[in-house]
Formats: sequence, C-alpha cells, structure tokens
Amino acid sequence: MSPMICGKCSKNHATVHVTEVKNGVKMESHLCEECARAAGGKFTFSITDILANLIEPVKTPGAKTTEAGAPRCPECGISYAEFKAKARLGCANDYEVFKSGLLPLLEKVHGAVQHAGKTPHTVESVVRKETELARLKRELESVVKSEDFEKAAQIRDRIRILEGELNKGKS
Amino acid sequence: MTIDELVQQSGEWLKGTGPDSDVVVSSRIRLARNLSRFPFMTVATPEVRSDIQSFIRRRIEEGLGPRRLQYFALSKLPPIDRQLLFERHLVSREHATGEGERGVAVSSDETVSIMVNEEDHLRLQVLRSGLQLEQSYEQIDRIDTDLEQHLTYAYHPRFGYLTCCPTNVGTGLRISVMLHLPAAVLTKQIEKVLGTLGRLNYTVRGLYGEGTSPIGDLYQISNQVTLGKSENDLISEMKNVIPKVLEFERVWRHKLADDEPRKVEDRVWRAYGLLKHARVISSEETIEQLSYLRLGVYLGIIPQVPMTTLNDLFIFTQPSHLQKIQGKALESAERDVVRAEFIRKRLAAL
Repeated sequence: MSPMICGKCSKNHATVHVTEVKNGVKMESHLCEECARAAGGKFTFSITDILANLIEPVKTPGAKTTEAGAPRCPECGISYAEFKAKARLGCANDYEVFKSGLLPLLEKVHGAVQHAGKTPHTVESVVRKETELARLKRELESVVKSEDFEKAAQIRDRIRILEGELNKGKS
Repeated sequence: MTIDELVQQSGEWLKGTGPDSDVVVSSRIRLARNLSRFPFMTVATPEVRSDIQSFIRRRIEEGLGPRRLQYFALSKLPPIDRQLLFERHLVSREHATGEGERGVAVSSDETVSIMVNEEDHLRLQVLRSGLQLEQSYEQIDRIDTDLEQHLTYAYHPRFGYLTCCPTNVGTGLRISVMLHLPAAVLTKQIEKVLGTLGRLNYTVRGLYGEGTSPIGDLYQISNQVTLGKSENDLISEMKNVIPKVLEFERVWRHKLADDEPRKVEDRVWRAYGLLKHARVISSEETIEQLSYLRLGVYLGIIPQVPMTTLNDLFIFTQPSHLQKIQGKALESAERDVVRAEFIRKRLAAL
C-alpha cells in the first residue's frame, strides 16, 4: 500500500487522520504532522461552518431593514447577515424575524418545522385562561342581552381576575 | 459541598453499576432552555449576563431548594477548579474555559448539573451510570417542570423551546451515550459502526484525543434531531439503536478472545503490567492502557479489578484532579510521575 499524502501541503506523508460524522455525512481529512500542528487542532469541520452554508441569503419580508436592505431584528439588533454568518440567534423574537431563512434550515437539520414535544405549564395555563376568557366574554354578552345583571356582575368579576392573572404573566 | 469536597468523592455515574455498564459507561440527557425576558447569550452585554445569572441562581436556589443543588459561580473560581468540573463532566469545556458571568448548580451525587449562561441561559443535565435513558429523562423532566414554575421560558408554539443555535430548537433535548468499543476498534469494524450511526442521524465523536484519531476507544453517540419529535420518541429511537451496537461489540469481544486468545491476553496483561509498575505515564497512555484493562476485566482475563476502580482511574488521573489531590500546581512532567504513583497505589490496594 502506498503511503497517503497530506491533503493540505500535498508533499509529506499524512500521519494524522480525522474522521467526523455530522449531519449524516462522513468527512475525512488526512494531514501530515506539520500541517496538523499548523492548523492547531482547528482542522476539524466546524458545525457553525456547516450551518452557515445551509442558511440561504434571502431577505425576510416584513422585518425592519438596514441601509443595505438586509432585515434586522428590532429587539436584539442582529442582522440577517450576522445570523447567516454565525448560525446563532440573538433573541426569541429572531425566530419570527428570520423565519423565512430559518424554515429551510430547520427542514434540512431536523427534517421538520413543527415542535411535537413538551409544552411549558405556563403556556398551557395561559392557553387555558385565554380560552376561558373568550368563553366568559361570549357568555357576558348573552346575559347582558337577557338583562341578567346579577349574573353579568359575577362574570365581569371573573373576567377581571383572569385578565389580571394573564397580564401578570406577561410582565 | 465545595470543590475540595468534590475531589474526595466520585459521582454516581462512576460507580459502573448501571445497566449494560460492560459497554455503556454513562448516559447523559440535557435540555437547552432560555428565558423569555432576556436576550440570548450571543448579544448579552456583561451587565445582562450578570442579571441573568443572579435571576436564575435565585430561582434555582428557591425553586429547587430541597434538592440542595450547590451553585458555583465559575467566574469566581480559579482555572484549576473550573477544569475539575469539566473533568467531572459537570460542565462543558467551553463553560470551563469561557469568560464572563456564568455558573453551574450541582447535586451532591453529581447526577444533576445545571449550567447557567453557557450557549443558552440554561443547560440542564442528568448524568447516570450505564444505559439509563428513561430514568435520566424522567429526572431532568421533573427538574425542568419544577424550575418552570419560577421562571418563563422562551417558547414558540411552532418551534418549541427556543435556543440560541437552531440545531437545538424544539425539545432542546440532547441524549448522549458514552460507549466503550475496544473490540470494534481492534477488529476495524468501528468505521462501519460510525457510518451507520451517521446515516441514522446520530453524531458520533471520540471522547478523548479530540481533533485527531480518538484514543481509549470511548465514543459518544448523540441525537442530531431535536425538532418535530417528542422527547419520548427521541428516547425510544435511541433505545432501539444502542442495544444493536452493544450486541455487535460483545460479539466482537468474544470473537477476538476465541480467534486470537494469546494476542488478547498478552495485550491485557501488558496493559495491567504497565499501569501497575510504570514510574512515568502520560494522560494519553493511561487512557489507552485502561481501555485494554477494561476489556480484560470483561473477558475475565483480569477479574480482580472492579469497574469503580477503572472509572476512578479514568477520572482521577486527569490533570486538574491530580493537582487538587496533591494540593499544588504541577507541571506536565511532574504530573506524569504523580499519575503513575496514583495508579500504582490504586492497583496495589486491590
């Protein structure tokens, strides 16, 4: 078997072999000791590089744009270009602002774009409270129409409590 | 519990008593979480980082109080103590060497650790001995649910738990199993195993000797997908895949012993002799020889070495551990001498 030649300098024998499996793709590099040292252990494939390549350079409609015309998150201030370069987000709001760029990325990485796991209790209870609030408001309308003012007062009190709780959760 | 007390004990996952611990060293489950009211770490200023840490620390201490998690503010610890937490698998390498206000809350049996201000505001992890995926998930899920009563997570009905890196979004769940695969390596089947797992969307990496070829035959297998599947589905899938790898490894171990008994015995006894008598030994050589010793224990060639001792030798011979045990800073060459002495003593005591 003939000795393997370094993939970087193409001169010396490759003695350092790196194999990595990422996103289902096996990647190998073969380097001589000198080149491996020069790379300072950084010759591995970075996950950021891979992800950055998966993000398309598209504009997100509806987002505030910078002078250059690229969208920027009004809350954390990161631009689409920064998101694309680092493949990292700056705040929860970015998931909305950069949605059109994120969806194809999520599809490629996870093969899905819809969460199917755990839901925080706070979210569950908020949804429950909002549903109850909507129901109470409909009920209020009907009892007011039927002039049952005692019942309407009770419902109004309950609405006030629920609204108070929901507002508290938002602060 | 202080860092010095931590050095004196060894964690639950090192006991080597979990199911399938002949091949599975440990199971680790982690959840990535962020708070809705703060920006992510990528854009957090030093002041915001500091606010996030105090906010979360208070909630961990009040909310999870009865569990008695010990909080360590990493920015206030000397590098050697941070390195120790990394060597114990309680924090990531990035968390140990990083900068800025950050910390970790650790349970006294070391099964639970909650990293604060790592890549995400919160990284909750459970680490247990052997293959214990469901038990580990139940434990971390309970902690997550308890914690959530005291703070509001960044959550989106479509994307689930929002994370700084889109590769973690959804469940924020990463399941990692650390496997010892010496026979797969010796029989040169390891590439096949890694390739297959890669095609199944699992990430595999060597635990030691990062960047170059792995040493010590220890591989960590993790799920890649975090979105679009429930936590239970992700756990079940992993639970279906891992036993196949274990089965292959066991078959190869016995095949090795049957086909080339002298060669295997020689390798194991040499490893034992080397570890028992060496006067100077590097970290790399220790990890490599311990791998053969572990194989020898499994095959009954050297039955007298308990799994706990093997695991302890892995952990306590790391640079920071040796220095903490000695109570002073040691240069690399000094460590090699101290390491050899430590191993000799532990093996002589059997």
